[in-house]
Amino acid sequence: MSEAAAGPDRRVPVLAARGIAKSFGGARALRGVDFTLYSGEVHALLGENGAGKSTLMNVLSGAHAPDEGEIAIDGQPVRFDDPREAQAAGVATIYQELDLVPTLDVAANLFLGRERVRNGFLDKAAMRDEARKRLSAIDVDIDIDRRVADLSIGHRQVVAIVKALSSASKVLIMDEPTAALTSTEVERLFKIMRDLSARGVGIIYISHRLEEVPRVADRVTVMRDGLVAGETSPKAPQAEIVQLLVGRPLGELYPKRAVNSGRRLLNLERARFRLRRDRAGWQAPEEVTLNVHAGEIVGLAGIMGAGRTELLSALYGSGLEGAWEGVVEVNGRSTKLASIRAARRAGIAFVTDDRRGDGLMLRMSVGRNLVMSIIRQVTPFGFVSAARETDSAERSFKQFDIRPHDVRIAAGALSGGNQQKVVLAKEVLGEPLLLLLDEPTRGVDVGAKGEIYARLRELAAEGLGVLVASSEMPELLGICDRIVVLRGGRTVAEFDGGIDELTVLTAASGEKMIHA
Amino acid sequence: MPDVGARPTTIPHGASKSAPRIDLLAFAVRFQSLIGLVLVAIGGVIFSPVRHGHILFLAPDNIANIIRAISETGIIAVGMTFVIITAGIDLSVGALLSLSSVLTATMMVSVGWGLAPTLLAVLVVGAAFGAVQGWISTRFRLEPFIVTLAGLQVARGLALVVSNNQYINISYGDGPGLAPPIFAILGDRLFDNTVPVATLVFIAFAVVATIVLNTTRFGRYIFAVGGNERAARLSGVPVTAMKISVYAITGLASAAAGIVHAGQFNFGSANDGTGYELTAIAAVVIGGTSLFGGSGSMVGTVAGSVMLGALANILQLNNINAALQLLATGAIIVLAAVLQSLVRRREGVTR
Repeated sequence: MSEAAAGPDRRVPVLAARGIAKSFGGARALRGVDFTLYSGEVHALLGENGAGKSTLMNVLSGAHAPDEGEIAIDGQPVRFDDPREAQAAGVATIYQELDLVPTLDVAANLFLGRERVRNGFLDKAAMRDEARKRLSAIDVDIDIDRRVADLSIGHRQVVAIVKALSSASKVLIMDEPTAALTSTEVERLFKIMRDLSARGVGIIYISHRLEEVPRVADRVTVMRDGLVAGETSPKAPQAEIVQLLVGRPLGELYPKRAVNSGRRLLNLERARFRLRRDRAGWQAPEEVTLNVHAGEIVGLAGIMGAGRTELLSALYGSGLEGAWEGVVEVNGRSTKLASIRAARRAGIAFVTDDRRGDGLMLRMSVGRNLVMSIIRQVTPFGFVSAARETDSAERSFKQFDIRPHDVRIAAGALSGGNQQKVVLAKEVLGEPLLLLLDEPTRGVDVGAKGEIYARLRELAAEGLGVLVASSEMPELLGICDRIVVLRGGRTVAEFDGGIDELTVLTAASGEKMIHA
Repeated sequence: MPDVGARPTTIPHGASKSAPRIDLLAFAVRFQSLIGLVLVAIGGVIFSPVRHGHILFLAPDNIANIIRAISETGIIAVGMTFVIITAGIDLSVGALLSLSSVLTATMMVSVGWGLAPTLLAVLVVGAAFGAVQGWISTRFRLEPFIVTLAGLQVARGLALVVSNNQYINISYGDGPGLAPPIFAILGDRLFDNTVPVATLVFIAFAVVATIVLNTTRFGRYIFAVGGNERAARLSGVPVTAMKISVYAITGLASAAAGIVHAGQFNFGSANDGTGYELTAIAAVVIGGTSLFGGSGSMVGTVAGSVMLGALANILQLNNINAALQLLATGAIIVLAAVLQSLVRRREGVTR
């Protein structure tokens, strides 16, 4: 286009979305979002969890149809009913969960769904030639005969990109592409991205890592609560971007803390969880020193892969097989925490980060889900006591204000925020001493977040000890009395309340980028 | 900005409480087997041959025949309901029935055991056979489909070995090699020659199973394991023990059905019970129990069993051949599964 030289504002964007709105059940994930992408630019899309980035990406890639709004490609209005149509229009997406078939080799994956056929048979030679050419075109040396399952995460990412590129003539959407990469792999990815944009591909780059933004992005859009919070230059000071990300006054969302910590409920000193068998991507606790007192909310911070989830599940006995070494004391008593049953007996409860996958029986009623943790109390002599069951469930409904107020409704029919209240309420019913929480408000709208924070603070005031892992730094800063920073399975720093996000982030990432 | 109020298509959030919309689909699925049973019964009356002014389908003898014919697969289906609620499957039941009938006859006739020890031993063997399958499946993380497919072969093989591929006939009387005459009651009818004893065994099983499934902690655990195994484990449910128990239950039910079989027909045979697993699974699915686990109904299973029996009976009364019976059964299973899938999709619990 001849106007191209006149500056980005007058060009026709390769992709333009206007007024995009999307709701799931009652939750409004997107509330009228405008977004433009010009060819040859890398446009970073930032936002906290639940801000709507992923939903926007799903709408642009054709995975979800928007409730309202328009999308145009090269100025022409389009409507994608599924990802294939988007790909046909030149929009390809690389998801966090790579859409590769691990049991097939690289070449087969690259041509999945687009196999070359000659005389009714697969033309393997042609496909292998082409696969080799495509990989070498971006200077990557990957054996095309290896199964994808045998490749490193970084190489899988490259395969996914190359696969996407065969359809992404115009737009490439990347969702957290660096989340699981090592620093060398990140460098290679950035180089590939620069090559692509030089060839005119527009790239939407979704990331949590602020430090990467100035290195790759031409433009930055920040989302918050389903809206565009603002657009800024990647060269803008990080504080400005953080301001856009966090946005709201923290004081209103987070309850006042009451400091009256009691006896020590959890004490780890140079504790290490020795795995029976290592597993790639599972960062076992290597050297952890922390404690949680009654009445205290302690935060676990760390970048992805630092071992937050692994620490919690190892404490609960629900992680990989292994054994604790070093000092592990619960409520003053030394313990092995070898199984879920042992952990529960010691008074530990755990709410995982995946409420649908790990927390709820979706087709079972909310009431029955709630009493699962106290099933022995509601089944005297092995028989279910309807009265006790209803009493307990009703108590939870009131305490956590679960809506709709109906114990019989299927758990799967509740909104994300209410489901999260149910998984929390369920564990609270068991009256644990120590509550382990992993991403307690992931995918939960702001209103429910505030309620959950208030309940946690109340429970702590009643003497519960809480250890909460979160990737949302504002959340940790807002609700925790203390924050412990993990890196590579080790506790590397501990902060009292009243510090800023950057200090924690710096401690979490270390001086230089290490394994992520 | 979108206006929430302008979108009338979504289901209101408090639907179940504030707006009691009658949900036909959910209703149909919840009571699909009972509705199906009523429809089949109506069809039976309409299409039944009439002789001397009597509707043959409704004749007491015919009804007794229907409920007697379904008692063996019905007992198995009751056990199978537990397994399927945990999202498992047990293909070994028909073969295990056959093995149990052979064992019953052999122990009484060839070995000379008394009635009570024989029945106890057969039931224990059946439960143990199932438990071993459950243990293998959980210990080695194998699909129950494969393990019980192997179990089917093993049970059939054992039955052939024990019986030497012969019918083992049961004669009644006192003394060694003879079965006590009371055992023959399994082929009789009680209460003025109306209610088959085999059916009473089925009813007893169904009643106990309904109570266990709906009112005990054990039953709740079964639903939890099938609804979300990981969540159940994290909640402290002994998942492995539950999984082993449900296969022990199908094993026990198959053994009981095998005993009923031996008592009804007065022999043990290594070649009977073929395809019973499929009839039982069909009854469970028609009864509204989800093959994906986590939901199901024992009453539905019973209704599904009766419905399948009544359907076969109508077709027989009208001299419609067996091939068409298979077609009709197949169509009904598909219909039941489609209804369930529609509800699942709407509940948003797929994937």
